[in-house]
Amino acid sequence: MPGAGPQRKLEISREEGCWKAQFLAMGSPCELLCDDDDEVAARAAAQAVATESWRIEDKFSRYLRGNIIDRINRAGGARIDVDEETARLIDFAVTLYELSDRRFDITSGSLRRVWTFDGSANVPKKADVDAVLERVGWHKVEWHGSALRIPPGMEIDLGGIGKEYAVDRAAAMARDQTTASCLVNFGGDLAVSREPSTRDAWSVGIEALGGGAYAPDTIIRLSAGALATSGDAQRFLLKDGVRYSHILDPRTGWPVQGAPASITVAADTCVQAGMLSTLAMLQGEGAEAFLEAQGCQYWLGQARCA
Amino acid sequence: MAQRDDKSVSATLAAATCALLGGTASAPVKAQEEPKWEFNTALLYYGEDDDRVQDASLSILAIRDFLDEQSLALGLSVDTLTGATPSGANRSNGAQTFTRPSGRGAYTTAAGDLPLDDTFRDTRVSLSANWQQPLGRMNLVNVGATASREYDYTHLGVNGGIARDFNQRNTSVSAGIAISRDTWDVVGGSPEPLSLMSDVGDLGNRTGEDSKDVIDVVLGVTQVISRDLITQFNYSYSDSSGYLNDPYKIVSVVDATSGDTVPRQRGPGVEGPDYQYRFESRPDNRAKHSLYGQAKYYMDGKVLDASYRYMTDDWEIDSHTIDLRYRWPMGENGYLEPHFRFYTQTEAEFYTIGIVDGEPLPSYASADYRLGDFDATTIGLKYGWTTAGGSDLSVRVELYSQDGDIPSDRLRGNQIGYVEYPDLDALIVQFSYRFSR
Amino acid sequence: MAGCSNMGVESWDRDVLAKDEMQLIVDPLEAATDDHIYFSKEASSGGRSFGGGGCGCN
Repeated sequence: MPGAGPQRKLEISREEGCWKAQFLAMGSPCELLCDDDDEVAARAAAQAVATESWRIEDKFSRYLRGNIIDRINRAGGARIDVDEETARLIDFAVTLYELSDRRFDITSGSLRRVWTFDGSANVPKKADVDAVLERVGWHKVEWHGSALRIPPGMEIDLGGIGKEYAVDRAAAMARDQTTASCLVNFGGDLAVSREPSTRDAWSVGIEALGGGAYAPDTIIRLSAGALATSGDAQRFLLKDGVRYSHILDPRTGWPVQGAPASITVAADTCVQAGMLSTLAMLQGEGAEAFLEAQGCQYWLGQARCA
Repeated sequence: MAQRDDKSVSATLAAATCALLGGTASAPVKAQEEPKWEFNTALLYYGEDDDRVQDASLSILAIRDFLDEQSLALGLSVDTLTGATPSGANRSNGAQTFTRPSGRGAYTTAAGDLPLDDTFRDTRVSLSANWQQPLGRMNLVNVGATASREYDYTHLGVNGGIARDFNQRNTSVSAGIAISRDTWDVVGGSPEPLSLMSDVGDLGNRTGEDSKDVIDVVLGVTQVISRDLITQFNYSYSDSSGYLNDPYKIVSVVDATSGDTVPRQRGPGVEGPDYQYRFESRPDNRAKHSLYGQAKYYMDGKVLDASYRYMTDDWEIDSHTIDLRYRWPMGENGYLEPHFRFYTQTEAEFYTIGIVDGEPLPSYASADYRLGDFDATTIGLKYGWTTAGGSDLSVRVELYSQDGDIPSDRLRGNQIGYVEYPDLDALIVQFSYRFSR
Repeated sequence: MAGCSNMGVESWDRDVLAKDEMQLIVDPLEAATDDHIYFSKEASSGGRSFGGGGCGCN
């Protein structure tokens, strides 16, 4: 689990004409690629990016004691005043809550207590789900200006926005630190800091969308903007021949039906790409229609054999 | 599932993101999928019953999309034809001997059998190339070339077209033209039309190489009617000029009263026909007009594809074609598609089952069953599926049946109940495999 | 055709039309094979594309 200590290592190496920095943050392997010969600028960019990523992780991770999220979740019904950055993230989450007709809900983390997607057949009983559902629902939360009051027993989790936010922040930092083009890649969520000059584009692979061992990866040539992927074919439950995906609908407490196994979206920022792919996933069977309606570029992955 | 006006989601999200990230300017996204080659391959078997034509072919179509909607398509097809096809001569009570088109050698048809000619047995190779690219924002232009070769036939052609979108891409108008030059190089030379079939070794009635030029023009409109329905309408015009005969097809010379094929005296000591046959003759020009309409309708996962084509030409042939396909998903990755096609045509003005002995020769005459009056029905079933690797496979089996009619007022004497349209029954089996690399 | 200028769908309603199985020609190879078979056995050709042909039949 994350925290300061031996995991907070920043490794820099030279690979295929770029400087490559690697570190761990927010539970994912993170990397920064700089299309540049200048080692000094690359190191400065890498340090800035890593520092900022760890800062975001420390501030918003639900696993750390004492940070703003922890204080909100353990307030027991008391009002908490949040700082400007947290307020911006919460405002954004509220916009998404409304845009998605309440499907995207940062209070839905409590559903974790009854749903564990480990490939087993442990589907919870309806009564258990209904019980947990009492503690889910943004409409139960009071949010005014920068003051937040959540009912006791409820919790908020910014994990659905955090990584993409960190990617865009990292891209902005890299843009400030160097004129060379950098590719930020936090576990498959990517952004380009500025258009490359020495190369045509960054080549990014989306893992075999066909879903089979022999399917070729799809290669995307990204020269500006961002890519984000939703979905994870590894996390599911299988009972009586029915596959339960890990994307839960917070209005019912049950998994969304008929969504593609994975959705990758290209957009101007990683936050937009991530939210479009998440909102599409939450539409279940209507995912593809939703993506077509948005007119964005997207790639769908088929379900793998369970 | 209640949805807000979907278009506003993107806009609202963009504004919200701007507020979240503090408006740090980011360039508009530029992402392009690395183009791959898409390979379409197909293995086909076509077989008619009664020892008639059989064809096996392998086809490959390779398509590569380049950046900015440009694309290249390359095709290669190899066909092997075996079997035999009706030569146009009538059955007879006696065995019939025919000189081969090359003039070297002869073949015999047993008494009472429909004369079938196997000269066309051969392997054919054909190639095609097509390049497509946008011209401005709303136009798409394409150019292409085709070529094919058999031992006695060569085809060369070029084509080009343009398509333009209107009305928010709901309407598309297109125009295309294709020009080709096809050349027959019959071993021994093409026979003089309407000349009598002569003995083996006698090539007196032969002309040399012969060719035809064909121009095809297609004008089309594609119209989106609704979210689930799209239609297309085409008008085509085709003009062929030059040598339009089939050099291997003959017409029996028949007695005016009995309808029997008229006998002939063979040269001393040589092989050759014992009855009279004349080589067919078609006009050296043909103009065709076609009207075509198609609709595809989506019904909750199932797709109905219906089309109709009307063709009329200056040989007095009229035809109607109805084609129906219904695609119906099966399981997660498969589909079943039954297919029904009905075709009917009226005969060419010069179609005949015999040239009457003693009467003046007609200007044109052909007994080629493909110019006759017939109905044809196709019933087929296709099953397709997508593999785990993302490739598409399919297999289809179809039965094609031609059923023709020679009106009884055409038949003379012994021909009644004896000379018939050579009905055809064929089996079509095809395997297809499509994959990307 | 004046009525056609308003017919159709908005760009965000094109999801069904974008599907593979809703293209006017789904399988170009199968279409070409069929065109060739029918061109060889009947007196008509083409309709949705060029006349076919390019072989010593018909």
